[in-house]
Amino acid sequence: MRNWLNASVLLLFTAVLAPAAGAATDAATCLGCHGSMEGSVNVNQEKYSKSVHGSFDCVMCHLSLKGDQHQGMSGKADAATQQLAASISAKSKIDPVAQAACAQCHEDLYKAYKASVHGQNVIAKKSSDGPVCTSCHGSPHYIQPKTSKDSAVNHFNVVQSCGKCHEEKIMSEKYGFSEKVMERYKESFHGRKLKVGHPGAPSCVSCHSSHNVVSAKNAASPVAGENKKKTCAQCHEGATDKFVAAITHKPMHPIAHFTELALIVLTMSVFLFICVHVLLDIFADIRDRLFRKGGNHE
Amino acid sequence: MNKTIPTEIERFDLSARIQHVIMFTTFLLLSFTGWGLKYAYQDPASAWIEFWGGAKSAGIIHRVAGITMLLDFIYHQFYLINRARKGNFRLSLVPMPKDVVDAFHNFMYFFGLRKEKPYFGKFNYMQKFDYWAVYWGMFIIGASGFFLAFPVTVSYIFPAWTIQWIWDVMFAMHSDEALLAIVFILIFHFYNEHLRPEVFPMNWMWLTGKMSIDQLKHHHPAEYDRLYGDKNKK
Repeated sequence: MRNWLNASVLLLFTAVLAPAAGAATDAATCLGCHGSMEGSVNVNQEKYSKSVHGSFDCVMCHLSLKGDQHQGMSGKADAATQQLAASISAKSKIDPVAQAACAQCHEDLYKAYKASVHGQNVIAKKSSDGPVCTSCHGSPHYIQPKTSKDSAVNHFNVVQSCGKCHEEKIMSEKYGFSEKVMERYKESFHGRKLKVGHPGAPSCVSCHSSHNVVSAKNAASPVAGENKKKTCAQCHEGATDKFVAAITHKPMHPIAHFTELALIVLTMSVFLFICVHVLLDIFADIRDRLFRKGGNHE
Repeated sequence: MNKTIPTEIERFDLSARIQHVIMFTTFLLLSFTGWGLKYAYQDPASAWIEFWGGAKSAGIIHRVAGITMLLDFIYHQFYLINRARKGNFRLSLVPMPKDVVDAFHNFMYFFGLRKEKPYFGKFNYMQKFDYWAVYWGMFIIGASGFFLAFPVTVSYIFPAWTIQWIWDVMFAMHSDEALLAIVFILIFHFYNEHLRPEVFPMNWMWLTGKMSIDQLKHHHPAEYDRLYGDKNKK
């Protein structure tokens, strides 16, 4: 029923607006329909207006609109955007042109991204693995500044955003990074401090960088070889080779694992002993008070 | 003989009482701030850390308290040496075979297999356990804490062959043994010195340092006999 209703509303709006469509390409016009539609074509007007792109007209990014209802509304994507859209179509299925349009304004970041391990995988290898802009930054309609705590790439949220892929076992097997990378980061001092809100605690991007990220095996990576010392030294002045070995995100070494196990066994044994001791003490005390009057200390 | 027996006896001098206050104040601060980081992924942790002025401030409190505690511990060693020099020093806290026997007898008493409490000396096995637990904590938690607080400096000391696991070992030592210490204090020490009907709400000895002769005679009969017993009897 609902779909029929939507469809008829849509048709009605189209019928009303179509004659004037050639001129009306501002966001308010688009949101007249898309503000109340359901599914992936819906745009929340209130949230959109509060986003960093809230003042944009939709067609600034949606350069190639399909369908009769959009006739005359569409702009024109330049050759570079069209080419980029074609190469990311495996990854960006809904509107690759709009996705590619980010590069029009964010040219420097796009260049950095294109050279990165992520960009190479998506653009050059045309893989469906690896992120495009919106994979990390979230829907462009609701994008917030990085300083906002609603931003998916905020210092305190970005770990979760990276984790969407880097926590996946399939990804770690396919691309050869540690299967425990997220788990080990989260249980480290860095991860814990970030979790409880330490502004100086490093997130993934603090060490691995973001748009221009490369594989840790690549010599250019800030965490590869000698670079790692420099990267650690940003916070830990005078970092040594032995120091930087502290953070690898690799699974725990067996010696560490069994030491921890031994410590847990010790803790539990002492715990058990003192609980039993205290309980017996209490029972003996109660017994003495009930049945051994005068026999005990007054 | 009775004329020479006072009504109470000093168990802890002023210095020892102050050392204890510093010890438990820093212990509580360390536990409170450390707890938030150990259980960072449990829901109340962030709010709890906020209570301590945020992660940065909680970290500073933790470090300052930790160093103060280590200094208190070091001071205690000098305090012991000083007492030994003055000849006012007995090995009354050193674990002895008798402590094992006492513990065994105490359990038999718990089960009603013995009529009398063991013939405890100045410090019983539980109190010795309490005392030496601090040493264990100081060496394990204190040392690992020092390593974790000054990681770059400490990295010069590590032999290269340890680097694959030493950091995780330090972390586990600090975190797990802190839990052990907290649980131990919360259950064993709090029961014995706070919750037992006889001492509730607390054993005032931490302030006065004094124990009544009746208490001494009842809980530490061997010490009572050593001090006031009939020397000819035995």
